[in-house]
Amino acid sequence: MTAGIEALNVYCGLAQIPVPALFEGRGLDPERLGNLMMENRSVGLPFEDPVTNAVNAAAPIVDPSDRIEIVITSTESGLDYSKSVASYVHEYLGLPSTCRVIEVKQACYAATAAVQMAAAYVASGISPGAKVLVIATDVALVDERAGYSEPAVGFGAAAVLISDDPRVLALDLGAFGNHSYETMDSARPAPSFDIADSDRSLFAYLDCLTNCFTAYRARVDDVDFATTFDHLAMHTPFAGMVKAAHRKLMREFAGSGLAEAEEDFGRRVLPSLTYPSRVGNLCSGSVYLALASLIDTVQPDETRRVGLYSYGSGCSSEFFSGLIDRESTEAIAARRIGDHLTGRAEITFDEYAKVLPMNLTCLLPERNRTVDVGAYEHIVRRARFDRDLLVNTGTKDFHRTYEWLSP
Amino acid sequence: MTREDVELVVHKEITQILPKAEIRGDVHLKDLGADSVDRVEILLAILQELRVSLPLSRFSDIPDIDRLVDFLAERAR
Repeated sequence: MTAGIEALNVYCGLAQIPVPALFEGRGLDPERLGNLMMENRSVGLPFEDPVTNAVNAAAPIVDPSDRIEIVITSTESGLDYSKSVASYVHEYLGLPSTCRVIEVKQACYAATAAVQMAAAYVASGISPGAKVLVIATDVALVDERAGYSEPAVGFGAAAVLISDDPRVLALDLGAFGNHSYETMDSARPAPSFDIADSDRSLFAYLDCLTNCFTAYRARVDDVDFATTFDHLAMHTPFAGMVKAAHRKLMREFAGSGLAEAEEDFGRRVLPSLTYPSRVGNLCSGSVYLALASLIDTVQPDETRRVGLYSYGSGCSSEFFSGLIDRESTEAIAARRIGDHLTGRAEITFDEYAKVLPMNLTCLLPERNRTVDVGAYEHIVRRARFDRDLLVNTGTKDFHRTYEWLSP
Repeated sequence: MTREDVELVVHKEITQILPKAEIRGDVHLKDLGADSVDRVEILLAILQELRVSLPLSRFSDIPDIDRLVDFLAERAR
């Protein structure tokens, strides 16, 4: 039985700000740029929300003839205590009425739990030919109060289609290791702000990586961190943290010194950071953005094994693995993710500061609201996109309203 | 290993990552200019040198370098 990712696409908004410009605007110390390893970060516009991100990521990989039996949104940007983001996504993607619709939450980890449960559903054989659409979708709720975290937070969605025809990533079924415990490292206590304890969160991310890999090794025979995986793709809070995480595992499991770890990082990990360093932390979609980055950058033409690591504050985490090959290269290249990222409009710090107050209200429930899409025409016309995109036009009796925006 | 031995290791590893730091016991690594990646690297290097195996999460609440040395000295014996 095979199962895994048949298709993968990301949507990371219409705008981006260069991270050095954000540092300058906030008066942050430019010496910190080195360890951050970030180029740009995606910025939402006030008509973009968790629904538009999800639909805009998934639309290119959904075929009306697909037998999608479950659509799962994974988000820490929920719009309602009861109604899921997935219910809107189901409507605007035109998914079949025979489809199950649910939402999952566990910070930046939930999408991987959904992917594993979806793969198990597909592999179980209880509904041969069924597909499951998992979409990790989020918005950023940070401003200057977040300090050095503000430049690292991303915006957008990653959509993965799980089936028994895994052209992008054939999962090593049964090969996984998990680690979870309760901690208050970061959270979103209300729909308008996040809280984070940076040391507690980064230390938990690193402890969990060690523990997940140990649990993986206990399940799978003859695993060696240095040689079993041709590449690694990890949840990327910021690219510099992935470098530190890799160095920690090389120290612990391969006994490597700094020079050896540096060479290994460049070969096995760095290709996964090309896109994350241009987007920022894509929450539970982050590890899938890293996977897309890895495949697009390496362009494998033979089979290679990838180790993947997903971590979500709170906390829960997983190390798992799968195979990529020439078909993966073709499937990801067809999505033209690099063109999408390059096509985002570059905005100035002043433009960023002007859209931020509206963005921070994106998830607040309001009975009636109007979002004037035309007010951001000066930014939209600088963005390059070649298909209709869903935009949020407001709410009517708490029901969110949407329209399609043509190029 | 005495507390003084542990303190020497802590100071040495801080200086490796932050050569210009003027180390004092009553400040946090953040106050010496260490960003989050620096803090991780300093702690991992100290643990390796002291041959102590501890989860990093045990260090989340340690308020300053004196308490860090105390905490490690108890476990490095």
